[in-house]
Amino acid sequence: MEEKLSLLKEEVEKEMKNVQTTADVENIRVEYLGKKGKVIEILKKLKSVEASKRKEVGQQANKLREEIEVLVEQKKQELKEKEYEARIKNAKKIDITIPVEDKIGSLHPITIVQKELEDIFTGMGFTVEDGNEVETEYNNFEAVNVPKYHPARDMQDTFWLENGELLKTQTSAAQNKIMLKYGAPLKAIFPGRCFRNEALDASHENTFFQMEGMMIDKNVSISNLIYFMKTLLSEVFKKEVEVRLRPGYFPFVEPGFELDIKCPYCDGKGCKVCKNGSWIELCPCGMIHPNVLRMGGIDPEEYSGFAFGLGLSRLAMMKYNIDDLRALNSCDLRILKQMKIK
Amino acid sequence: MYISINWIKDFVDLDGVDVEKLIYKFTMSTAEVEGITKHGQDVDGVIVAKVLSVENVENSKKLHKLMVDTGKEKLQVICGAPNVREGIKVAFAPVGSTVSGQKIGKAILAGQESNGMCLSEKELGISDDHSGIIILDDDAPLGENIKNIIPVDDIIYEVDNKSLTNRPDLWGHYGIAREIAAITGRKLKPLEIEDLDLYDNLEKLNIGVEVDDDENPLCLRYSSMRVENVTKKQASWKIKVRLYYCGMRSINLLADMTNYIMLELGQPMHAFDEKIVSSVNVRTLKEDSEFITLDSQKRKLDKGTLMICHEDEPVGIAGVMGGLASEITDNTTSLFLESANFDAVNIRKTASKLDLRTDAAARYEKTLDPELTKLAIARFIKILKDEDKDIKVTSSFTDIYIKKYPHIVIDIDKDYIDRNIGKEISMDEIVTTLTNLEYGVKVDGKNLTIDVPTFRATKDVSQKADIIEEIARIHGYDNIEPKTNLWKISPVPKDPVRELEYDAKVLLATKYGMSEVHSYVWYDTQLNQELGIKVRDNLKIVNGIAKLDNTLRREMAPTMLYAINKNLKYMPECKIFEIGRTFDYNFDGKEADEYKVLGVGLASAKQSEEELVYEAKSMVDNVVNINRNLNVRYENIENIKYNWMHPVNSFKIIVNNEELGYITIVHPKIKDAINPKVSIIVAELRIDTLGDMVKKDISYKEVTKYQTVNFDLSLIVDKEIKYSQIEEIINNAKMQYLMEYSLVDIYEDSEKLKDKKTITIRFTIGSYIDTLTKEQIDEEREIILKELNKNNIYINE
Repeated sequence: MEEKLSLLKEEVEKEMKNVQTTADVENIRVEYLGKKGKVIEILKKLKSVEASKRKEVGQQANKLREEIEVLVEQKKQELKEKEYEARIKNAKKIDITIPVEDKIGSLHPITIVQKELEDIFTGMGFTVEDGNEVETEYNNFEAVNVPKYHPARDMQDTFWLENGELLKTQTSAAQNKIMLKYGAPLKAIFPGRCFRNEALDASHENTFFQMEGMMIDKNVSISNLIYFMKTLLSEVFKKEVEVRLRPGYFPFVEPGFELDIKCPYCDGKGCKVCKNGSWIELCPCGMIHPNVLRMGGIDPEEYSGFAFGLGLSRLAMMKYNIDDLRALNSCDLRILKQMKIK
Repeated sequence: MYISINWIKDFVDLDGVDVEKLIYKFTMSTAEVEGITKHGQDVDGVIVAKVLSVENVENSKKLHKLMVDTGKEKLQVICGAPNVREGIKVAFAPVGSTVSGQKIGKAILAGQESNGMCLSEKELGISDDHSGIIILDDDAPLGENIKNIIPVDDIIYEVDNKSLTNRPDLWGHYGIAREIAAITGRKLKPLEIEDLDLYDNLEKLNIGVEVDDDENPLCLRYSSMRVENVTKKQASWKIKVRLYYCGMRSINLLADMTNYIMLELGQPMHAFDEKIVSSVNVRTLKEDSEFITLDSQKRKLDKGTLMICHEDEPVGIAGVMGGLASEITDNTTSLFLESANFDAVNIRKTASKLDLRTDAAARYEKTLDPELTKLAIARFIKILKDEDKDIKVTSSFTDIYIKKYPHIVIDIDKDYIDRNIGKEISMDEIVTTLTNLEYGVKVDGKNLTIDVPTFRATKDVSQKADIIEEIARIHGYDNIEPKTNLWKISPVPKDPVRELEYDAKVLLATKYGMSEVHSYVWYDTQLNQELGIKVRDNLKIVNGIAKLDNTLRREMAPTMLYAINKNLKYMPECKIFEIGRTFDYNFDGKEADEYKVLGVGLASAKQSEEELVYEAKSMVDNVVNINRNLNVRYENIENIKYNWMHPVNSFKIIVNNEELGYITIVHPKIKDAINPKVSIIVAELRIDTLGDMVKKDISYKEVTKYQTVNFDLSLIVDKEIKYSQIEEIINNAKMQYLMEYSLVDIYEDSEKLKDKKTITIRFTIGSYIDTLTKEQIDEEREIILKELNKNNIYINE
């Protein structure tokens, strides 16, 4: 009996050496440890062993059973490992460099720049307003202190319409309506599409975007305007910018300024964007003309305020390094798709 | 406008002033400077020399061999100028001198040695004249540096005209000098003028002004004077060079003089030949007529144009340009001098109508000070005397002064000034600044009474804000420290339409991979023709540059089709949108309606038209729902309004029972014109109306704790049956436990099913209080089947 057990052990070990699959291992297990397995058979026949040896043989048989169980388990593990290794080794190699479908579309650069500015302004407590594109002559000119035949009308070639209205030449056309709507104090911006009757070239468009802002309250001063513009533009360019004011003439403000910024792209050292001038003329602004306040139903003795205009098309061109203004209205997806969403 | 620093120095002492810094300060305090030109830096060592002899050069028709005396030596020079002759004094550039930035060296011309050159005005840089060499006065000293005879050296800076629109006082050098005096804190020298009172006892000239409107006369003032015995023909070098540097051409002494005064004082003047114009009447034209102006152009003038007439014959268009017939010529020895003031608006109208924006008109339209007319004549006589000492004034100063501007006094207090600037400015500085700008200032404690000088009072300065500007700009905006102020913060109202607009854009770009485009708000007429797009007549631009494209868009779809047409040339698929304005005009002269509309254009070579329609439907559903949470439904359009719509497959979008737009397959004719191989659909949605609709709140619906059961029914129906009809049956069948149902599949097969199709719908049933029994489930199934059978819809077993 004992001999038989040790023979069985050798036999199992020998068979195990040659197995290839987990199924073979299972077969071996059944062969020895199954209901009719060779080891189990021995255990079943224990009764026929003489009593003195029965205990010992029983122990040995059980020991062999355990050993075979361990062997089976080990072999199974070993083979599983091998199988995984083989699966990994034979796995299809993915070429990560293959281009995939671009599922994101694109927002227009004006939308992106406008949203950025709107977020800054709403964060500063400004209301975002909207104006019409077809406007009355009164709103576009008279109400912002440009009477008929005023030479300032030369500054803006106007598209006149057959009903006597016009395509608004400036976002200022909304000033009067907004003042009448909200009264003072007032903080509002109003972005919009503007039109000028001009021949197109790389730097002239008949259709472009501006954003205008107004802030009206008690005791608003020139010094406040400078502070505000500096803060705002530092937000826009995401760095501290240096600003300077020069006199500029815009009929709806008095005094009127041209605001220049030290070129944020080269810190004033001279580059393509500032045309080596180190300053960029960015934004006309000024203290709102008392006549304009009065026409908007606001008493200039009690309130004062400032207004400013930002060229959205210009900012978009600066942001994306676009050098031809016409690209913005081109509808050319080869250009526009580059802009993505933010 | 060009400003000569030499000219400014006539009025302000600029000794020790860095001119470039000064020009920068001018930009920062007065008006934008567009450029600086330094004249004379490229000329060095040019001297006065005398031509001693002139000989012909062998084998050359043009060249002469000269002997030239520089005072130090006699040199042989070869010269090609036609006006060279013995005995004249010339501007001579010897070997080693510099002309136009080039060093002059010894040269061999036609085999002859030449030791320098005689210069033309162009070579010296003082005019465009290259027809001959400069001939100097006989008394010019030999060997003298030419720059001491001709003021070649000057610095000219160009001021942006637009930034002077509101400053009639700055359209002449004297006004600019006044600014510079205030900026530098130096004194402005008084203008040297002739005392016109000296001529009071001479005869008056015969002038008349017909006034149509006493309140708003077209001619505010007409001043004149007669001068005789003018013998000099050419102005001095000083005048000629200054005119040239400031952008004008020298013509003759008298024409140059009127231009010189205009550039100096900003007051346009006109000199008539007194032999032709001895009296003047200013009146409007009684009927349309023709008139030949100084530039030899025949011009059509409208009735009502203000004219200067002599014995009822027009001799000039008032304030714009004189007539050719009464022009000053080389034979003119006596002149009738006009210095007048005309209504700004009227001059502007006339000049724009004639498209004749002369220097005079550009100044008049800024509203000049009528006080200037007399000053200009007094200055003219003074300078003319300097130029030609033999002239005789033969009339008294004759003047018709119709309208004076009111005298403006502004009361302001120092606190108001400080508060508006945001900085305390000393009373001393305020007074000095205003005084330097020639305001009258009276101080009483903190109060100031400010007298506005006439040259600022025509419209530029009228109220306190104008005074703030004067003080702040001369103080320098750079010197005002930025300061914040604490204003009341209040919540920011949000515009629902704008919010929707941005949300919709982001949704379309991120979820549907669409690209936003911007276009023009008018139709492209040529493209409409090419593609066969027919649009309704609408509001038109009357003065556009591209005459054809003048109709504003009523619909977004054509814009989308233009963009698709363009992009399909480069790519097989194009999915775009724009949120823009459309306009609706009734041709009644009244205001047009303006809408904010989302336009969508989908074109694809891979997807079918049907797929694109469903994609668009999904977009519309989601745009409506992301933001408003409203129900949308769609209906077939029975009668299409536009020819790009598909007669069968075009659909109204209805939200809250309001029609907000449409989705349509593009009519095959137009689609084929764009590209026959792709599917194209367009859609429009009224973003403004949708944005103004009240948001529907979402209220949470409980989910059942008990097991629910799904079963699918495949229904065989006629092809014509719409899904919505089946929905209606389901909704009306009184199913007790129906939780939800959804479309699984629609199957069409023209061979097997012929004119039928199968629609598979999944029903989910359940209860909130218990798990359903098998009987309950079967019963539920029976209810819906019975209801379907009633409508002749049977299930596919």
